[in-house]
Amino acid sequence: MSTSRNRLRRFAVRGVFWRQYLDWATIQMPFYTYPVLHFFMTFFFFFFAAPARRIVLAHLAIILPGSSRAMNYLRVFRTFHNYAWTISEAAIHKLIKEEFDYEIIGAAWLDQLGAAQGAIVLTAHMGNYDLGAALFAEKFNREIRLVRAPEPDQQTAEHLSASLEKSGEGAVKVDYNTAGAMLSFDLLNALRLGEIVSLQGDLVAGDLAEIRTHLFGKEVRLPNGPFVLAQVSGAPIYPLFIARSGYRSYQIIVREPIAVLRSGRERANDIAQAVEKWRQVLEQLLAKRWDQWFAFAPGFLFDERNQ
Amino acid sequence: MNETNKRDPRFYFSLPRFIALLRGGDTRRAERNAVEAWFVGLMMYLVHYLFFAHYLPPRLAPWQTALLLIVLAFWVWLFWLLLLYLNSVIIKLLHLGGLFRTVATRRAQSIFWGLFTTAMACALLEDSPWVREIGAIWLVAVAMNLASAVVLALSNATRASGK
Repeated sequence: MSTSRNRLRRFAVRGVFWRQYLDWATIQMPFYTYPVLHFFMTFFFFFFAAPARRIVLAHLAIILPGSSRAMNYLRVFRTFHNYAWTISEAAIHKLIKEEFDYEIIGAAWLDQLGAAQGAIVLTAHMGNYDLGAALFAEKFNREIRLVRAPEPDQQTAEHLSASLEKSGEGAVKVDYNTAGAMLSFDLLNALRLGEIVSLQGDLVAGDLAEIRTHLFGKEVRLPNGPFVLAQVSGAPIYPLFIARSGYRSYQIIVREPIAVLRSGRERANDIAQAVEKWRQVLEQLLAKRWDQWFAFAPGFLFDERNQ
Repeated sequence: MNETNKRDPRFYFSLPRFIALLRGGDTRRAERNAVEAWFVGLMMYLVHYLFFAHYLPPRLAPWQTALLLIVLAFWVWLFWLLLLYLNSVIIKLLHLGGLFRTVATRRAQSIFWGLFTTAMACALLEDSPWVREIGAIWLVAVAMNLASAVVLALSNATRASGK
């Protein structure tokens, strides 16, 4: 019984089957079939990925207050469509090694990050952060440790890790952010050794530590971990986002680094100040790029936990 | 401060590559032109859609026809997925037979997609005038593309021999 359930799980929306199919199709598909196939695949997942659809709809309701529900459904479709392009282009980069156009916004900060001895890249589930990590590793010839939210399916997690490591040609190491793991100590150690650690700062996965704040006037939860890690290690936080700007074209957006101070007993205040800076960056980015915010899992809205 | 790595446009199909040759541009094949991807993809979809629409039962109530035309849009999508798989099997068999081993899988797929679509476009020539028009546009585009491929091959051979 459980074996047949495991087999069926492969075909769930977040099951490994779709990731494997994407890899197979990337090798097979002529490039001009992408627009049509992506449109219909988006249609398919728009209906079958109901939980993700509801979450994106709830997010849009707060990012774009006053917009109608019907319009927001179309925006969810647009978000899913962007996601289809994003993951397929990540697969193209991984399997075909096709070159992409990119524009760096905040190049001076990116250069600073590339030369940093221990830094935290704080990003969101936005655009193509997988491709971004690989491009970064390639451009600066540096290793990067990417911490992702855990996948519900073990096989999908293994497939994604292998994909990222292949895409980054060994310079990208993947860890999964799970409560109770020794990961925090590993990351602290990595930062002290001068490595770059990339964390996602928009969703709180599972029982991880959170900090409450307001985004677009609504109470939301953001992960506490990156800020505590920055405070303990003394490493600066670089807000960095990879947004798709067109066909095989991306924008790497880097914002001013955030330093988390350690002023004695006022540690909570220091963290609150850093969170506030991150909150402003995130709010600005989400308002502009809501169609590329691929936050398909719960962990953002404060209300959803009470429901 | 911003930085960019945007490069000059490059094309996949022979006709735009030939035009690039005339304009002194880059004629190397590349799959990163959005206009080509959208134009050829949508044109191909239209040819396939019209081909299957020809087989819809005639003399149905307008609402039934409309419903079937919507269903057909999804059928063509499923047909594409099947075609992708069918072509992959043919390519595998050809490779086993020692043929086309040096041709990349996507390139081989592209040849089969072109052949299937051209056959369907030929069938459209027997349909109503505007459908015939679509078929004819596809066939003319294929002919111009093949002619451009020949010119590009000859110019490359000339360049390689140092003339």
